[in-house]
Amino acid sequence: MRLHIKLSTTLRDYVKGYEPEKGLHVEVPDGMTVGELARHIGLPLEEIKIVMVNGRHSEADDAMRDGDRIAFFPAVGGG
Amino acid sequence: MTQQELRSFFTPYIRAAYPSCERGGPDTLFVGEEGLTAWAGLKSLTLRDAMRELLSVHIWPERFRRNYGLFSVMAMRHMLKSRILLVGCGGLGGHVAALLARMGVGMLRLCDYDVFDESNLNRQYFAQHATLGKGKAATAADGLRAMASHIDCEVVVEPVSESTLPALVAGMDVAVDCLDSIPLKMALERAALRAGVPFVHGSVLREEGFAFLSLKEKRLPSLYPHSGRDEDEKTRAQAMSGVAAAGIACLMAQLCARHLCRVAEGRELTASPLYHLDYSVPELESFFS
Repeated sequence: MRLHIKLSTTLRDYVKGYEPEKGLHVEVPDGMTVGELARHIGLPLEEIKIVMVNGRHSEADDAMRDGDRIAFFPAVGGG
Repeated sequence: MTQQELRSFFTPYIRAAYPSCERGGPDTLFVGEEGLTAWAGLKSLTLRDAMRELLSVHIWPERFRRNYGLFSVMAMRHMLKSRILLVGCGGLGGHVAALLARMGVGMLRLCDYDVFDESNLNRQYFAQHATLGKGKAATAADGLRAMASHIDCEVVVEPVSESTLPALVAGMDVAVDCLDSIPLKMALERAALRAGVPFVHGSVLREEGFAFLSLKEKRLPSLYPHSGRDEDEKTRAQAMSGVAAAGIACLMAQLCARHLCRVAEGRELTASPLYHLDYSVPELESFFS
């Protein structure tokens, strides 16, 4: 399945050449979970605090579907 | 005073007159602050109460003329009596406070125990060379009074905590989270919603940030189920864009204004989506839980 991935702030540091305007487009095996996807692209799981799949809150063991848009966020706590 | 006597009193102070949308209705007059102050003195009213009374007879303060068309008379009157708790007067808080004061909010309770330092100058509204070393809350209050004579500011310089928050949220119309600590943000959300006070969250990191308004349901625990103070330290070492801080602050001020207008007009009150603003693209997304 093909997925569109968006990374927020500090998580971009783990993916060389990440372009915020484009995000990442990846092809992965069907049935992959959100957590497996994070590991697949080299994100440390402990740094990921929020995952949104197609704009809805999601968990690490949730499965994804072809065409999904996945957004990974670290803690955003500045004021 | 009759309508005619009132209009005659304010004649020397009229800056603009807009015709009524209703056939045969009175013009809306916009009068300078000198006139408002004179009338408030005559009636032994505060400037803010004088503004509220006059709004109901189509006499607006000139300072709110460019609010006309954005806010109804009911909304403007409600705004002037509204009380907002603002916790944190730094990157987000300074901008939010200034926007709310200019908009017409009547009272702000400003909480911050910190002082301005040089590293705040890239983004914090009230950070200036002259205010370095000075208290953020008191400096903000001085700045707000200088830009909005109707506003009443209360300054709280003690650090906020789980035990002090219930007293701080009591009697407020909205509690606004401009803190830089996730555990404290969660404590403010808990205290506000427990007291039935709507909660506006804002947070920023690098060129991005989040904002939302909650009415009943706590949302921060689901966003940050395992967060602790170690993340606060990491955040404080990160870059913080002045543009992102100002942009998130605009969203937060708008969420406050939208809520206050809906209360004033008896409309349905709703929580907002979680907004994510990313200035590195730039783009604004809405997330639904």
